[in-house]
Amino acid sequence: MSIEVKGVRKRFGSFVALDGIDLAVPAGALLALLGPSGSGKTTLLRIIAGLEVPDAGTVRHDDADITDHAARDRQVGFVFQHYALFRHMTVGDNIGYALRVRGAPRAEREARVTELLRLIRLEGIRDRYPAQLSGGQRQRVALARALAARPSVLLLDEPFGALDAKVRQELRQWLRNLHDEIHVTSVFVTHDQEEAFEVADYVVVMNQGKIEQVGTPAEVFEHPASAFVMDFLGNVNVFQGRVERGRALAAGLEVPYPQYPHAEARDTAVYVRPHELAVESEPRAESESLEARVVHVNPAGAVVKVELRTELAGQLLNAEIDRERFAALDLKAGDRVFVSPRRVRVFLPDYAI
Amino acid sequence: MSAERVRASGARQDPAWLRRTLIAATLLVVGVLIVLPVVSVFVEAFRNGAGAYWQHLFADPDTRDAILLTLTVVPIALALNVVFGVAAAWAIARFRFRGRTLLTALIDLPFAVSPVVAGLMFVLLFGLQGYFGGFLQRDGYAVMPYLTSALVVVVLGASYAFLRPSSPKLRRGLWAWPRTTVLGGGVILFAGSVLAQRALGIWPSGATLKIIFATPGLVLATAFVTAPFVARELIPVMEAVGPDEELAAVSLGASGLQMFWHVTLPNVKWGLVYGVILCGARAMGEFGAVYVVSGHIAGQTDTMPLRIEKLFQEYDAPGAFAVASLLTLVAIATLLVKSRLARELPQGGHR
Repeated sequence: MSIEVKGVRKRFGSFVALDGIDLAVPAGALLALLGPSGSGKTTLLRIIAGLEVPDAGTVRHDDADITDHAARDRQVGFVFQHYALFRHMTVGDNIGYALRVRGAPRAEREARVTELLRLIRLEGIRDRYPAQLSGGQRQRVALARALAARPSVLLLDEPFGALDAKVRQELRQWLRNLHDEIHVTSVFVTHDQEEAFEVADYVVVMNQGKIEQVGTPAEVFEHPASAFVMDFLGNVNVFQGRVERGRALAAGLEVPYPQYPHAEARDTAVYVRPHELAVESEPRAESESLEARVVHVNPAGAVVKVELRTELAGQLLNAEIDRERFAALDLKAGDRVFVSPRRVRVFLPDYAI
Repeated sequence: MSAERVRASGARQDPAWLRRTLIAATLLVVGVLIVLPVVSVFVEAFRNGAGAYWQHLFADPDTRDAILLTLTVVPIALALNVVFGVAAAWAIARFRFRGRTLLTALIDLPFAVSPVVAGLMFVLLFGLQGYFGGFLQRDGYAVMPYLTSALVVVVLGASYAFLRPSSPKLRRGLWAWPRTTVLGGGVILFAGSVLAQRALGIWPSGATLKIIFATPGLVLATAFVTAPFVARELIPVMEAVGPDEELAAVSLGASGLQMFWHVTLPNVKWGLVYGVILCGARAMGEFGAVYVVSGHIAGQTDTMPLRIEKLFQEYDAPGAFAVASLLTLVAIATLLVKSRLARELPQGGHR
């Protein structure tokens, strides 16, 4: 079932949580709402679920307008951030609850619970209480409970937020596989860009109650639509500078920027991702590389993270280089190097001029 | 090394003489002020043996009636306060609305007002010279069919609106009726109920409806004085539990009533039981407010505490202590249950 959100607004007192949201989730997609806290992503999720009423705008499922429908009439499965398992019911009763309130016969209920316990690979815990489960187990039980009545939409609020790193990684993979298996339209909220990129088919980046960008993980990562998205997607080096005549000039560097061919110079921030910053031991031609000193090297990981300080402005930079290159350069703290951006991004507020 | 250890333990603990003095002083005060009077109640009650004790309790018809009256008034007041307490706790713990802080303060008002003043307020409202007293005396039973019918229709209407699915697709049977049919049905129900009640003569005609100096007044006074107990116990429990499980139930398809019975009530049940027990104990012992509205008609409006006072005034100390021992037993039982329940309450649930 597809979801369509149109012109949705929501205020809490003077705080604007959602400021005109338009969003379409295609049927069967797994979509991530990504944003910092306070960006309105959870509010949007709760409005789709019917747990919150929008001040303006509509929510549609396929062709039906369900804006005024109560949560229980929406055929939505909702997984809460802190699971919200019924603490006085066993795991089996928790999972079977949606069928119980629908008046399903006991045998059918038991069969569905067994089936779901197998799906979440927790067959042995049927008679335990939520308090006796680990965080990861609770999360999976909450998911099974939400899926019990075969909802047409699955909504997850920070599904892995309260878990430790290893369990989190496993569950992400598991959720992805599960979605490939059952293909229910799913939306999940996260503030972790890595999680969004790894799990989702589509990523929606939100900021201050507005949608900044919608796209596949590759699109959003490769072509961030705004400075905010660029900033939010991970540590990035920012230079203050300007663009003119197809070139970007910042901190003594000059890089081609053909997207801005105009003669009129404009002040702007120039963004360079750590892995797009080349580190060399010899300078290039003038204004093509910056002199810097190595402050810190973190060799633990697939890539080596190098922290640098430019000689001229004293600005801290982050660079990521592969292991072979790191071995060839033989970098140590205090070494003198030259950096040059392979690619820069510039975001101009009214780019259309 | 050993000197250091001595000093370290000295820093953690008060000197032995101070501990012993404080504990002894506490035991002495508790013994003199609490244990001794409680024991003496039972000693006095059984002074003339168990047979006399039994005689005092159940041979005197006025005492028997007083016990029965208390056993009538307390459950009704308790039921009223459970309904009020759950509703008030729900409103305060789950909703944010204008005047919420004021409501929270008002719930505690009966604790702050002297019971005698509370009794006087009811006399002022429902007494013969009061605002409603004259009218009720004259026409109290005549308006009852209308009042009860209106109540029934309002409750049914509210449940109908509450239970109606919000999606037109899911409305079947009764819920598929058009709005006018439902409204018309309500009117017909009201008229039918009024006519039926009048035809059957459920309410006595020609009799006067008395609130003050009668059981309804006792119930009102008792309910007022004990009103805060249930709500006071429930609010912190409901706030500690939080709304997430209720929302989860709703998102899984539960109706409001199902959510309440399956999720809310089991989560707050120990808080509710705790509140009910405190409320019941207090209601049984209530004296001041009841004293004002009762009128002391022996065998009719004397509750147990009022009976105790009357027996005592009549120099029937053994009789007074016999009834007093019953109230004391209730208090001890309450204490035992209460201390067991305190362990069942969730974190932040006990005060």
